[in-house]
Amino acid sequence: MQFSIKYRRSLFGFSLFVCAALATENAIAADAKTEALEEQAFKQAAALAAESVVRVQTIGGIDRVGQVLTGTGPTTGVVVSADGYIISSAFNFASKPASVLVRLPDGRRFSAETVATDRLKMLTLLKIDAKGLIPAIAAKKDSVKVGQWAVAMGRTFSLEYPSISVGIVSALNRIWGKAVQTDAKISPVNYGGPLVNIEGKTLGILVPLSTRGNGETAGVEWYDSGIGFAIPMQDVYTTLDRLKAGKDLQPGLMGINFRGRDLLGGKPIIDRVRTESPADKVGFKSGDLIVTVNGKPVRRQAEVKQVLGSLYSGDTVKIAVKRDDKTIEQELTLVAELVAYESGFLGILPKREPTGPAMAGVEVRHVFPDSPAAKAGLKARDRIMRFGETDITDSQSLLSLVSRLRPKEKTSLVFRRDDKEQTVQLELASIPNDVPAELTSSFIPVVKEDDAEDDKEPADKDNNADADAEEGPKTGRFNVKMPNGEHSYWAYVPADYNPEYEYAVMVWIHPSGDTMEATVFKQWQAICDRRGIIILGPKAQQLSGFTPNDAEFVKDALEQMTEKYSIDANRVFLHTYSNGGKFTYQLAFKYREQFHGVAAAAAPLRTRPPENDPDYRMQFHLLCGDKDSLFRNVQQTVGGLKRLKYPVNLTTMKGRARKYPAEEETEEIGRWADGLDRI
Amino acid sequence: MRIQFATRMLLAVAMLTAAPRMLTAQGAGDTIKSVMPRMVKIFGAGGIRQLHAYGTGTLVSAEGHIITVWSHVLDTDEVTVVLANGRRLEAKVLGAEPQLDLAVIKLQEDDLDLPFFDLADAASASPGTRILGFSNMFKVATGDEPVSVLHGVISARTKLTARRGAYQVPYDGDVYVVDAITNNPGAGGGIITSVDGKLLGMIGKELRNAKSNTWINYAVPIPEIRKVVGEIISGQYVREEKSDEEDNPERYNPYDFGLVMIPDVLYRTPAYITSVVPGTPAAEAKIQPDDLIVFANDELIQSNRMLKRELGRLEAGDTLRIIVKRGTTLVNLELPVQKKPGS
Repeated sequence: MQFSIKYRRSLFGFSLFVCAALATENAIAADAKTEALEEQAFKQAAALAAESVVRVQTIGGIDRVGQVLTGTGPTTGVVVSADGYIISSAFNFASKPASVLVRLPDGRRFSAETVATDRLKMLTLLKIDAKGLIPAIAAKKDSVKVGQWAVAMGRTFSLEYPSISVGIVSALNRIWGKAVQTDAKISPVNYGGPLVNIEGKTLGILVPLSTRGNGETAGVEWYDSGIGFAIPMQDVYTTLDRLKAGKDLQPGLMGINFRGRDLLGGKPIIDRVRTESPADKVGFKSGDLIVTVNGKPVRRQAEVKQVLGSLYSGDTVKIAVKRDDKTIEQELTLVAELVAYESGFLGILPKREPTGPAMAGVEVRHVFPDSPAAKAGLKARDRIMRFGETDITDSQSLLSLVSRLRPKEKTSLVFRRDDKEQTVQLELASIPNDVPAELTSSFIPVVKEDDAEDDKEPADKDNNADADAEEGPKTGRFNVKMPNGEHSYWAYVPADYNPEYEYAVMVWIHPSGDTMEATVFKQWQAICDRRGIIILGPKAQQLSGFTPNDAEFVKDALEQMTEKYSIDANRVFLHTYSNGGKFTYQLAFKYREQFHGVAAAAAPLRTRPPENDPDYRMQFHLLCGDKDSLFRNVQQTVGGLKRLKYPVNLTTMKGRARKYPAEEETEEIGRWADGLDRI
Repeated sequence: MRIQFATRMLLAVAMLTAAPRMLTAQGAGDTIKSVMPRMVKIFGAGGIRQLHAYGTGTLVSAEGHIITVWSHVLDTDEVTVVLANGRRLEAKVLGAEPQLDLAVIKLQEDDLDLPFFDLADAASASPGTRILGFSNMFKVATGDEPVSVLHGVISARTKLTARRGAYQVPYDGDVYVVDAITNNPGAGGGIITSVDGKLLGMIGKELRNAKSNTWINYAVPIPEIRKVVGEIISGQYVREEKSDEEDNPERYNPYDFGLVMIPDVLYRTPAYITSVVPGTPAAEAKIQPDDLIVFANDELIQSNRMLKRELGRLEAGDTLRIIVKRGTTLVNLELPVQKKPGS
């Protein structure tokens, strides 16, 4: 009995083994057959599509685009109409060639004209003078499935056979809804060529794309990596007529950004609406929650981007937002470029009143020569009562009215002089890009000096708040250690500090390896005393210089100062020299509510700044020696900032190489800082 | 006993059903099984300054002749070869052909009877053909393990125009370009086969495509190297020296034809003609100022520099065929290449 059981089990085991062996052998044979059939299918698919795949050659052009060395080799294009239109990847023309030639599979050569480029999907349309060409047949977009075979083709290696790389469709609607993704090997060898399905129908046109950049060469770093993209052929045909018209297509913008950076988790709540953008024109406001896009409900930021990401400028989109309990739907026409915002300028400095109950209106401290205010006859000590239709309560309200108007806008102004009100009409100007040669400092009366105790620990501010108030805040030059014990800063508060008046703050960002505390203190002490400026000098945690991780500390240090001293938020500015620039600009653009000016010597801006925004006023004063190797870069920075309509001055330090500004120039920075509250 | 009998019966049935299909097409699994014993790993010089000290070889005779790429790895008295079964043998370089980047080494052991590829049996294949690549890439097969296998298809068969660093690679014959990432450190000397096991080509060194500035994955077709391998093995090989001068002669320049080109100010100045000297072949061919030369003797002319190189190669008695772009049309022209006075 026992034997029998063992026997049966063994027999069962053996039959299993045999069956497995049988299945494997069959499977191998079947696999081999499938492999052979699939290979046939790849070749046939390529052969079917090959007639539409042409060679594109370029002549002349630059040999480098950004970091990418451009190739000189042939590239690929796909015929999209019988009468000579050919679509290709914009990458193939990144070198801006002098001339483009097309060679058809039958060997005929044509000179090609570049018709237009689609800057959203990075395609370029060419036209040759030929008839009877065979356009590529588009695979239906909704028939494309992840996992299906995809054959990438190019016409770079041999004229006779297109090159072939086989993979599968890896994903649909990639890069914000623009592209099909494939694991076939995509590279300059087949950019501009077709990705075809097993029937030889074209799934899309191969292009480099990137989730990060959007230039012609963005995404090339992924060549042959198994991450390749193709613009769906159906979309190509849909936009063909627009490209044929000869105008480049641009990505469509609506002019909002979202609150928070969590694309996937964040609700699509509008954070900022760009002035005069499509979103602004239909009345969208900060705080609005986007609920539907083209009728489709959206819950996350990414869903909004997925729809907007494949739209062009000129396209319309219907967007509904929820504000309070109302839902507002609007149709927006997207634009290619958001206009840089330029604030208007009246041409006065408001008088800095002592803190406490204020009188109505704003007293004029200074009138800039040739400004609209000067032309209208305003003088120092006049009191501005009304601007346009609005009564003025303080300088802040006047500033926000003026900066929301554009240069050349006309308005009326009511001011009081010798107890008489006068009305004048004026036309606003642009904020001037220079520093007045003279500017009398604003008078701050001296209070009877309290004996500030120098050894007082600033830590634990909650408990010491009362103590501070009694003893008066520290003045002179002193050091402060942050509560975390890791960071510290030095500061200078004018000796005759009067808490009833608001002071400017200069946050000094030192270059790497040197806090320059002595130099800055020596050159700035007198200016600070005269013009009411407090210096805050954060020290980098590492001698090698500030890192982005130090940003939080600088903001905390500034907050600490703001709690203890009477500070005019509009006149908090950053000052830096040399390689302190990078961190300075990071701070300036990260904390736009805190910082309103940058005075940078020999420190060009290397990243693209955010758009100018009347809500976050920012003014620049740049200095550089004309013998400094960075002079050109600084000039470019000034040009770039001007294009974005930021107020910016450039002071050329004649005959000087890299050096911290001399007394004359720091005096000028002082005057500039004293005018940061100009209206 | 009964069990064994039953098993044999069933196995026989299995073999019978499977066998006829296997005759029609060998699958990837069988190909790999048969190729692996013919591949070897090579260890030699290198290991400093990012130079890899390993490579791949392919057995081409039962006595232990191995083909591989000519590289610094072989720049040593004896190289170590590890067979697929882990057996470690010494080998000596028998000969090399730098023009082809090819070397033949021989195992220093008598009475070997190893599985090998007969180069005479090599096949050729067209784009779209599925391939397998075999190589000791990145030395991932560190122990007694066989080399790595990759799969892909043949992308193209084309002339190689490749660079190693800034230098043009001497080999300019045919290659198979494949869409598998076959050309890695140590992979040179490996092979590609079709999925059904036909030997197609030898994987070369890592090179960049000179035209697109991207890394290229390629193999040299076996027929391109077959003759030289045979000659090295039989000891009849004589290396042909080719001088640089022959590669870049400067026998003619545009002015010899009466062409005045625009000044060569950019790296890629397009070959625009500024004026034509009267009474010259160019004037007779009615070439006009502002014509852009786009082809010369079927070579694409992307710059003045390339035009100069192309004309330099001409010899008296040749015909220079050029295509110029005039406005938006292409015009075909022929110019006689006359004997230069004084030459």
